[in-house]
Amino acid sequence: MTGAYILEQIVNGIILGSMYALIAIGFSLIYGIVRLINFAHGDIVTIGSFTMLASAVALNLPFPLAILVVLAVGGATGMLIERIAFRPMRGAPQVTGFIASLAVAIMIENLGIMTLTAQPRNFIVPAYLSKFIAMGPLSVRAIDLAIVILSVLLMAALVMFVRFTRTGMAMRATAENYNVARLMGINIDRTIAVAFAIGSALAAIAGLMWGSKYSQISPLMGLIPGLKAFVAAVIGGVGSISGAMLGGYVLGLAEVLLVGLLPPEYSGYRNVFVFAVLIVILLVMPNGLLGRSTEERA
Amino acid sequence: MRTMLSRVMAAVAAVGLVASVPQARAADPIKIVALYNLSAGGLASIDGPSLNGAKLKAKEINDAGGLLGGRMIEITAIDTKNDLKEAATGAKRAVSMAGLVAGIGHSDTTFALASAPLFQAQGIPFVTSGATAPELPDMVGDQMFMACFGDDVQAHAMAEYAYNTLGVHTVVMWTDNAMDYTKGLSKFFQDRFTQLGGKVLLNDVYMTEDKDFSALVSRLKANADAQAVFASSGPDTAGIIIKQIREAGINLPILGGDGYDTDLISTVPGPDLSNNVYFTTHAYVGLDTGPANVFRTGYQKAYGGPPENAFAALGYDAMGLVADAIKRAGSTDHTAVTKALAETSGYEAVTGNIAFKNGSHVPSKPVAVMYVDHGKVNLKTTVTPKS
Amino acid sequence: MASGSKLLAFLVAALVGAVLVYGASATLDAYLLSIIAFVGINVILAVSLNITNGFTGLFSLGHPAFMTIGGYVTAIMSLEPKRKPFLLPDLPAWLATSHLPFLLALITGGLAATLVALVVGFPVLRLRGHYLAVATLGLIFIVQGLAVNLDGYTRGALGLNGLPELTNLWWVYGWMLLTLYVCWKLKHSSLGRTMLAIRENELAAACLGVRITRTRIFSFALGAFFAGVAGGLWAHLVTLITPSSFSFLFAFQLVVMVVLGGSGSITGAALVGALLTIATEALHPVEEAMGFFGASQLLMALAVLLVLVFRPKGLFGMAEPDLLAWIGKLPGRQPTRSGSKRQREV
Repeated sequence: MTGAYILEQIVNGIILGSMYALIAIGFSLIYGIVRLINFAHGDIVTIGSFTMLASAVALNLPFPLAILVVLAVGGATGMLIERIAFRPMRGAPQVTGFIASLAVAIMIENLGIMTLTAQPRNFIVPAYLSKFIAMGPLSVRAIDLAIVILSVLLMAALVMFVRFTRTGMAMRATAENYNVARLMGINIDRTIAVAFAIGSALAAIAGLMWGSKYSQISPLMGLIPGLKAFVAAVIGGVGSISGAMLGGYVLGLAEVLLVGLLPPEYSGYRNVFVFAVLIVILLVMPNGLLGRSTEERA
Repeated sequence: MRTMLSRVMAAVAAVGLVASVPQARAADPIKIVALYNLSAGGLASIDGPSLNGAKLKAKEINDAGGLLGGRMIEITAIDTKNDLKEAATGAKRAVSMAGLVAGIGHSDTTFALASAPLFQAQGIPFVTSGATAPELPDMVGDQMFMACFGDDVQAHAMAEYAYNTLGVHTVVMWTDNAMDYTKGLSKFFQDRFTQLGGKVLLNDVYMTEDKDFSALVSRLKANADAQAVFASSGPDTAGIIIKQIREAGINLPILGGDGYDTDLISTVPGPDLSNNVYFTTHAYVGLDTGPANVFRTGYQKAYGGPPENAFAALGYDAMGLVADAIKRAGSTDHTAVTKALAETSGYEAVTGNIAFKNGSHVPSKPVAVMYVDHGKVNLKTTVTPKS
Repeated sequence: MASGSKLLAFLVAALVGAVLVYGASATLDAYLLSIIAFVGINVILAVSLNITNGFTGLFSLGHPAFMTIGGYVTAIMSLEPKRKPFLLPDLPAWLATSHLPFLLALITGGLAATLVALVVGFPVLRLRGHYLAVATLGLIFIVQGLAVNLDGYTRGALGLNGLPELTNLWWVYGWMLLTLYVCWKLKHSSLGRTMLAIRENELAAACLGVRITRTRIFSFALGAFFAGVAGGLWAHLVTLITPSSFSFLFAFQLVVMVVLGGSGSITGAALVGALLTIATEALHPVEEAMGFFGASQLLMALAVLLVLVFRPKGLFGMAEPDLLAWIGKLPGRQPTRSGSKRQREV
């Protein structure tokens, strides 16, 4: 096993981790504010990649412009779901919201199957994204580089937003204490809507990345990345944005490295390893890597 | 409480109403059930065309006046949703239908094993269009027939083609460990390839839901001696595998089985990367026979495009086999139809002649070796098994 | 109501059910019978998951893992010894030669699931809320991954097929009654109240001397036992079991049954379990007739959402509505307000 081989695995892990992180942020952002595990989040990934396909292929928009469309559609879908499905049952037990989000997920998936059929279809990226860029001993594809850079930029922007803008502060305050925030005159409905919009927009971008990288999309494609990102958010500590980012990279690296460094007979055990690692992390740190140990709020 | 009660009662009533919707009545139709995964999973990309093929054949027969003196064929499609429980309950629902004559369906061994035994238990013949494990009839019983060749035939054909024609003597093998089809295919390939004198350098495995093959690709790269990759994959991952291997700058020939026979292998990697891929599938493309031409024009007319892949032809053939047996049996009696099916000899199918010889329920049929060049799938050669 | 008359009512209901089972077995076709059997199995699953998730308030998604374990163990135990070396070459000799009657095989399957629940439960049940949910979700994937990869014991992805069709309506009915009875007894025992106490306020319960860990593990393991048995029943109804038979999506469906019925309500879990199973199945022919595949799932999801919006605590909340009295009142007058209130407080 050469150094270049291991380096290559690490790079692969970081690429996968970037996408997990982007999706995981949405889980944490929404959970932090409304204490809701939003399982429909994975389907925003699907919506993101189909939006990209529609705007880049059908409407023939240039790639960077199409990214903006994806951001907008993703964010709008997130707000719409929140308005229709989650707002009416705010204040209900946590598990109710969880089930509601499952119902939304199933609805989105089956709407997709009914309108687009379950058959996977290909995803087209411009040729310049498939070019190779030599970096020392490695050669990385432009799309992979773009994924990492764009993810880091988006995450940095999010951190700045949450830290320095009024809306960002409102979000943090609401996450800290919902009732006090409301008494302080923070517009809760608006804050929650913004959290959904941001989280969903990021997931939609992750969907666009997922589609560009693997080139095959289907109405059920969001299921597995959504689930893995949820795991990543939990590893990092649900509710913590930086935790979600860290969790995404930890999961991506663990997944690729475990398969890459262990003998090939064990490749089939990929999910076994991932979830075993997850359970071990949780046992050692029951609140995740960066989660705070607060008693759960009902 | 009261409103809730009425709501529950309304729900119950709705369920009852739905359950008792009467079946459409025609003058004594010949009922055939087709079980396919239509609404979920990559199998939908080969099961959908299969169902289209079967429906086309039924329509052609009906347009020509039906069977047994004017009885029409009526196909009921049951969606098994990529879920084995649905396959089993779907089969139970099928065999409970009054007047069911036969079942067809499935392009994957695991699914055929979930539903076919239930037909067997009721003594109703079942013809699979695309489940290719050669042991299937032995595992299920005498009511089970295959319209396609067995995986041993296609894997042996590929091993021989690779070793003798392509001059490949060392391979790396990738196998989807979550599918029975891919595991069987790999086993048959490895048996014949090593028998010929070839060497397998590495056996790597993955799972159907995997999308990231970077670790496997790196390991493949590390095996500099490999002259080809045999990637045993179903339709879900075939395109993704080709793409990721090519993106890593590896230009070795990629070899596969009939799971590659979907447009995903050229559309997913794109024309620049979908190169130097060889796979075996059910022959019909290269066949310039009467049935193959009738099928091609009929499909184009009915569905507004050429057949997506060989599985459309297999669905057409499965339906054709059953119809042929009913015609020869002269009745829709299960025992008679099964007997006629077992006696099939020289049925001119789209995918080659079908004959069940020496009590075997697996036809010996030609294998097409396909070659993908810049996203274009071309027929390389057609191999006819000896025996 | 006195506990004696409750028991009597239960026995009468059980007898009526038995007559219905007898009638159904004699008259209905194989498909309808299997649907009824699935209804029963799902009731067992929903009600047993209710012990863990409803009574004790542990958010477990682990039922499919226990079903897989129970299903495989039951199948291996009831398989004819002469087929085993061919199917499963790596089985140790004592397993390869053993051949148990169905009842014992089911119990063995249930116990195997219980054992795993105990081993896993000790560390994992320290986790709370969603962390526990994710850990048990992981358990599904781990069990599934092992079943796929341990070829010699499980026959890999192909699974065990051609199992004898041992499960009939009587088996399902018997186990369903047992599950309902055990849950009912449990809910109204001091142990059951301990569980509810933990669910409502763990700290307060601990202060009152409730042994939290022990009670949690007990409820987890008891749920696992019935899940294991249900897995065995399922495998011998469908006549096969594969690693993917019970996926995490199935765990969600079960949680939906528990939550829609009202966490903690046995009647609710049982009723919703039955209704969802029947409705999903009944919508299939409609879907096929319209050629709109996926519509049945869509409608079910919509229904779930509507119930949650209008009854966020599920249909019954914690309560066990007195169904017999309820049915008796049907033709009569509308129940008074106070009457329905009393029912809720049972």
